[in-house]
Amino acid sequence: MSNSQQTTSQHQTRTTDSDQSLETTSGETVEETEEAWVEYDFQGDAKMVAEDLDVYYGDDHALKGVSMEIPEESVTALVGPSGCGKSTYLRSLNRMNDRIDAARVEGSVQLDGKEIYQDGINLVELRKRVGMVFQSPNPFPKSIRDNIAYGPRKHGDIETGLLARMLGRDDSEEERELVERALKQAALWDEVQDRLDDNALGLSGGQQQRLCIARCLSVGPEVILMDEPASALDPIATAKIEDLIDSLAEEYTVVIVTHNMQQAARISDQTAVFLTGGKLVEYGDTDQIFENPQSQRVEDYITGKFG
Amino acid sequence: MAGATQSRLVEGDTTLTDAVAAVAVGLSATLFVLAVAAMFERVSLTGTLVGLPTVTLLGGLLVALGGTVAAFGLGSWVGYVETDPDATAGLIASFGAAVPWFVIGGGVVSQTLGLGTAGGVVGGVVAGGVAFVATAVPREDVGSTVPLGALLAFVGAVFLTGTIGPDWLWDLGWEQQASITAEFLVPVATLFCALYGGWAAAKAYGRFGARGRHMGAYVLVYLNALSIVAFLFILIAFVVVRGLPGLLHGVRIGAGVGPQVFGSVQLPVYVPFVMNGVALLNDFQGVLPAIVGTIWLVVGAVLFAVPLGVGAAIFLTEYAERGRFTQAVEVATNGLWSTPSIVFGLFGFAFLIPRFGNRKSLLAGMLTLGFMLLPLVLITSREAMLSVPDEYRDASAALGVKKWQTIRSVVLPAALPGVITGVILGVGRIAGETAPILLTMAGGTFVPGGQTVDVIGGFEFTGSPPFVANPELLQATSALPYQLYALITAGVGLGSNVSDPDGFRWATALILLVVVLSFYAIGIGARYYFRQRLKHE
Repeated sequence: MSNSQQTTSQHQTRTTDSDQSLETTSGETVEETEEAWVEYDFQGDAKMVAEDLDVYYGDDHALKGVSMEIPEESVTALVGPSGCGKSTYLRSLNRMNDRIDAARVEGSVQLDGKEIYQDGINLVELRKRVGMVFQSPNPFPKSIRDNIAYGPRKHGDIETGLLARMLGRDDSEEERELVERALKQAALWDEVQDRLDDNALGLSGGQQQRLCIARCLSVGPEVILMDEPASALDPIATAKIEDLIDSLAEEYTVVIVTHNMQQAARISDQTAVFLTGGKLVEYGDTDQIFENPQSQRVEDYITGKFG
Repeated sequence: MAGATQSRLVEGDTTLTDAVAAVAVGLSATLFVLAVAAMFERVSLTGTLVGLPTVTLLGGLLVALGGTVAAFGLGSWVGYVETDPDATAGLIASFGAAVPWFVIGGGVVSQTLGLGTAGGVVGGVVAGGVAFVATAVPREDVGSTVPLGALLAFVGAVFLTGTIGPDWLWDLGWEQQASITAEFLVPVATLFCALYGGWAAAKAYGRFGARGRHMGAYVLVYLNALSIVAFLFILIAFVVVRGLPGLLHGVRIGAGVGPQVFGSVQLPVYVPFVMNGVALLNDFQGVLPAIVGTIWLVVGAVLFAVPLGVGAAIFLTEYAERGRFTQAVEVATNGLWSTPSIVFGLFGFAFLIPRFGNRKSLLAGMLTLGFMLLPLVLITSREAMLSVPDEYRDASAALGVKKWQTIRSVVLPAALPGVITGVILGVGRIAGETAPILLTMAGGTFVPGGQTVDVIGGFEFTGSPPFVANPELLQATSALPYQLYALITAGVGLGSNVSDPDGFRWATALILLVVVLSFYAIGIGARYYFRQRLKHE
């Protein structure tokens, strides 16, 4: 899991292997993708920009030349069939792919105009600014309070007195406020305010996922990456997560991977469709993608004809 | 017969047949308990039990159980009892029935009829073969009851008729004197018969078929689990009963009789066995130096091995790239764990002792046992860390937390119960280890007088590097396993005024058991505490 040696930041001339992109899993030849389909004009600034991003897992070319701009303070949905590279793309936005030994990244990703695939990048700072929520809720086996305060404590953002730490009671005023703020933002405060010292594993699945979102918020991110955050949850818990995502978009840039077309249509401002072969096929306004896709394959996919 | 094609969906009330089968199961459980008790001489074979000679009682119960089981199977076959048997009892049951009949057939032909070894083999094969066929060929209800019922009835009849009585003895006629006594044979035979009878009776209680097999397996497994508990309990009870008199020898209770502890508090009880050392002028001798020595030994070994082992485990799981080097470490660890303890002792003797002032010392013993403990701590810590879900590591990394902080704050706490389990197991092994301390720590004779090693008080500052010295650590001292060994082999340390040497030895064994079990208890308590912290509170 050593960093940096697998990841290179040079801009390589993109080798277009359009032959492969023409084949679906069933081997039939389909239409050729057009560059224009992925050009999305939006108002406002781009928060993150990927240019010609390629990701390899060993010999497996998982992501092929993806270029995509993610607008600020909005919800961007990434949809596509399993194995299409959308999670890989998501994980390259905060360099979580570094943690996979065989992964190799080529191309460029910028956060606020700063290249994140360059030597000397501060991974701590990057991941504080680009947070991540995972598919299955993964709170630490600690108390709710400790889960939220974990990141800030480790980053030294909370002052904890030596005496308090020795007694295991580092609930300074500052920390209490931070925990409350994060839990309120994640719409969990009302449910857990009386049991902050209970173990987080005692919460329901939906509560655990909102706790994970609160934990992600606690370090003050600007971008929140979500990898199918509601796929392990029941409809009611899913609805709560979706409401939460909606409110988060006012302040944060949210990028969400989902398998659920309706969910993408409900919550996102723009949608990127990845199809088999690790290519971004179409990217645009969510309404336009769902109502009037330019690509025949995308239309087939979102109407459920394949994938 | 009626149930042969259609099984009952709804269970009826308890019927008479259910009751009969249940009584048979209960009877076999009783026999099992009696057999275990007889094996450990809690029930005397020569004596009587509820007014009957023990062997006769066992025989009668066996005959009754065998008869009931066989009758149940035959009753099912003629249609008197409603059951759902399969077509055959199966190969496992057939082999199960063939093995005891092979032994009986062989024994009867070669010994009772006097036809020698060849005849015995032929007789055994014939008897076993008949039992095999009788189990495998008929329908399940007959096959799984009649051969086993006959086995029980046969063994019971042998006991009843007095063919094998309490005084029975079979001299094997080997060069060394070897014989099988009734004291051994009767309980063992009863035990196996009880298992077979319980199995068959449970099958009958479940009315054969799939449910019957389920019940049969359940009873067998349950009896096995029970016997584990029973053996442990008996072992402890055995040592306690023998050791208590020695332990309580010379006990006084009352204000101001005990020794002073913590400077000023005077204990209101005086138990010389655990509060005295061995000294010429003592009224009562005790093993206090050995107790203290054992405790310091274990504490020192744990303090040495746990940081090293856990640190190595962290390196192997979290940092090292998997490859030849980690594999080599793994193989070396496993090899180290299976190295005989006397080899560790020799290593300590030849390597450590010359470096620690050329004499046996507590420090050398601690390090030797620490080396022994190290591989187990490493193996179990590594397993525990591997079983910590990667999601925790991912979540922590996604928050931007550095790897070492993740390990310290997330991985280690989650792995701690597993690590403690490893330490518990290891301490259980080293605390009772005799060979290494024989060579590295305990002197040839006992430390004279009531010298209890005082590690904490032994630290002193010196004017030259390393500025701290502890002569106590470099003294030879005693430990319980070694003391027990010395007491048994040479009678060392008894002094001249121990009135009951055997009681003294048993009491030493009892204290050793108590000390080791106390370490277990502490470890299990700690593990429970850390597990609770990981789970719902």
